[in-house]
Amino acid sequence: MSDAVIQVDHLSKYFKVYHKEAGLWGSVKSLVHREYHEVKAVDDVSFEIKQGEIVGFIGQNGAGKTTTLKVLSGLLYPTNGQVRVLGYNPWDRQPAFQKQFALVMGQKNQLWWDLPAIETFLLNQAIYEIPEAQFKKTLNKLVELLDVSDILNVQVRKLSLGQRMKCELIAALLHNPKVLFLDEPTIGLDVVMQKVLRDFIRTYNAEFNSTIILTSHYMGDVKELCERAIIIDKGHKIFDGKLQSIIDRYARNKILSLIMSENVSLKQLEKYGEVKEFELPKVTLLVPRAQATKVAGQILTHLPVLDVNIEEPPIEAIIREVFETKADLQV
Amino acid sequence: MNLMPQSLSKYYRLFVLSWQNGLVYRTSLLIWRLRQLLSTLMALTIWSVIFTDQSSAFSYTRSEMISYVFLVSILQSLILASSLHSLAGDIYNGNISQQLLKPQNLFMHFSALEVADKLRNVFFSLIEGAALYALFMPTIIWPSLQTWFVFIIWAILGTVIHFFITIIFGSIGFWSPETWGPKFLFFMILDFTAGKLYPLDILPRAVQQVLLITPFPYLSYVQIQLFLGRLTSTQMAWGWISLLIWTVITWLVAQWVWTKGTKGYEANGL
Repeated sequence: MSDAVIQVDHLSKYFKVYHKEAGLWGSVKSLVHREYHEVKAVDDVSFEIKQGEIVGFIGQNGAGKTTTLKVLSGLLYPTNGQVRVLGYNPWDRQPAFQKQFALVMGQKNQLWWDLPAIETFLLNQAIYEIPEAQFKKTLNKLVELLDVSDILNVQVRKLSLGQRMKCELIAALLHNPKVLFLDEPTIGLDVVMQKVLRDFIRTYNAEFNSTIILTSHYMGDVKELCERAIIIDKGHKIFDGKLQSIIDRYARNKILSLIMSENVSLKQLEKYGEVKEFELPKVTLLVPRAQATKVAGQILTHLPVLDVNIEEPPIEAIIREVFETKADLQV
Repeated sequence: MNLMPQSLSKYYRLFVLSWQNGLVYRTSLLIWRLRQLLSTLMALTIWSVIFTDQSSAFSYTRSEMISYVFLVSILQSLILASSLHSLAGDIYNGNISQQLLKPQNLFMHFSALEVADKLRNVFFSLIEGAALYALFMPTIIWPSLQTWFVFIIWAILGTVIHFFITIIFGSIGFWSPETWGPKFLFFMILDFTAGKLYPLDILPRAVQQVLLITPFPYLSYVQIQLFLGRLTSTQMAWGWISLLIWTVITWLVAQWVWTKGTKGYEANGL
């Protein structure tokens, strides 16, 4: 028997979408006749996730990431396939299941806008039937971890985006969910706040051994938090495995960042690799991964170099290449 | 010690939060109540002028009509007020997703918000009613204790019917973004057929007969007729039957539409 907390078996979710012709005439025609077509938001997707895993869902806009999360949380009824989360069919929306998971959406909030966040926390305590002692303990811990003790009694509408997101997380985690779906939790946040939230998610996962699925447009979130990634493209799963294996397979080059101590010519540099940036004293070269160390050694020997740095290409660039090449990554 | 069962305490907490939320903006609260007060004041003034040189009009005595206006004001707050006007839009825009994910009965959730809203309305209406009474010093008809009892039950049934109708109209949001049109039409019809603007028995008899087989007169008009003692025993029996039948019909339709709607729910904008 599988020890997976989340089981998705040949999941499909199709939507009927109204197709309108452009322009005023199209609008007039749509009054009498409308054409609909079927969009396969998720098409025959299967995967399993074990307890304690943090899995990154990667995909372009409209790839089907959020639709999958909606099905897993019981918001959407699947067109085909089977889904089990913690042994429950999410669509049954059983209270026993709902008390064990949370869905946090970066662009939708559950906090009462005109009241202080603490009021929503107290409401959630009642809704999730959290015993007083457990509520106080969890709240104190989350407040301490996210450092929000001074804003609990401030009207939500007066809080900054980052403060609101922290309070959203607290509201979602008060009942200590075993499974957490995070949909773009760091969207719109500055880099400092993104890091605070990533650290918090990592700590929460370690402390509660919770299972987390994370979707994010910031590859930094996925790279820092998720060992495993699932890539979805146009409703199809095209990769499921270790994030590092995508990097190994798709990052054919490494980046050599050089600071030169004297002027060198472009021609001198081109012998060692593809020159991406040439703004002396700063130079950036792309060199094949396998030869990166050797080439760096040669450059240090033959050219006037003040400083050298070997880096992986940004994960964004690797993922972009995955989508652009549309290679079969299925593992 | 908390004596309330946990399953109910969540809805009580929601009720309290709704009251808190309704009291946040003082100016909005003041203007909202002023609008309600002016509406009743206007009706009282018009009917007072009509009754200046006549003792009855449209088969109503002056005290019956003034009582009618006062009762409309209270019943409007209780039966016709709703906090769920934006339900259809909230459904279509995916704003109810968070509520669907929580271990709660959504009908109870909406009921708690409705009861909070209605009681807030009634609370202020009673204060305003007292102020208007002091201003106009009208003769108000006061029925027997037994009639009061039936009146309260009928008012509650009317409130329940209106709640289910609101859910049915709100459910349009599951299928269409065009929620404003049907709702507007519904409120227009309600204004003319619930007895809110005038007693329905001033209309031609045939129109009355047609209206009485719709749910609308049971959302204020029949309750007021009962209070004023203008119903025969046959009409009372018809009132009971109609109220109970419409409660069951609207409940069944609301359940069916809601279940069907949530199955096709697309949680937009999430």
